[in-house]
Amino acid sequence: MNTAGPSDTIVKEITIRAPAERIFEALTDPQQRLKWWGAEGQYRGTHMESDLRPGGKWLTRGIGRGGKAFNVSGEYREIERPRLLVFTWLPDWDADAQESLVRFDLEERNGVTTVRLTHCGLTTESARAHHQGWPQVLGWLQAYVES
Amino acid sequence: MPQARRKPSAAVFRAIADPTRRKILSLLRGGRRSVGDIARNFRTSRPAISRHLRLLRSAGLVVTRRQGTARICELNAQPLRAVDDWLRDYEAFWSESLRGLKRYIEEER
Repeated sequence: MNTAGPSDTIVKEITIRAPAERIFEALTDPQQRLKWWGAEGQYRGTHMESDLRPGGKWLTRGIGRGGKAFNVSGEYREIERPRLLVFTWLPDWDADAQESLVRFDLEERNGVTTVRLTHCGLTTESARAHHQGWPQVLGWLQAYVES
Repeated sequence: MPQARRKPSAAVFRAIADPTRRKILSLLRGGRRSVGDIARNFRTSRPAISRHLRLLRSAGLVVTRRQGTARICELNAQPLRAVDDWLRDYEAFWSESLRGLKRYIEEER
């Protein structure tokens, strides 16, 4: 059991040799986002709409595993170009899914930008509800596995 | 897009979304306990605790059995495995996407 792995909040970081502005553009421009978003051979976006302003809606349609169509949508919550982008996330492939929150922090230094992705609210009833539940969940699971 | 191998039920998410229910599960992690024993750890009324336990039971996270006059509760963590798998799919999705973003930006220059 990898206790450092999954948590109620997913955090991923990557450094990209480009200015933050360039990355912000790739995150928010519909044409560009379709080019990198998803996983090769597994799911790809085919259509994106983006109304880039706080409260503005975004939507992506695509084809997932086994040729199945999907749709993810949400609303922009915070935009501080080019340092911060926060939007809600609601997938259509899971009828039980609750709205969660995705946050991109871009920190540029000498032309290199650290991109930090935070996806939170994945196991709570509300994206805004904040709790430290996940380490416990892992503990229960570990108790089960070890007993 | 992330599509769980085993889809966790909404009941499991509801069950773990509540702090009181998470605390009950933590107590049970230490071993079996009677309903009365569990209720003593909370300021909440016993009927309220029973409601929480009912919800945990219907999510399959708690199993109860009678022992004399007491009802004994036990943790069953198996349904949490599906939640764990489901989160791992998201982890993989974002890792792939960020790698794709890096490739897209660095290779076009």
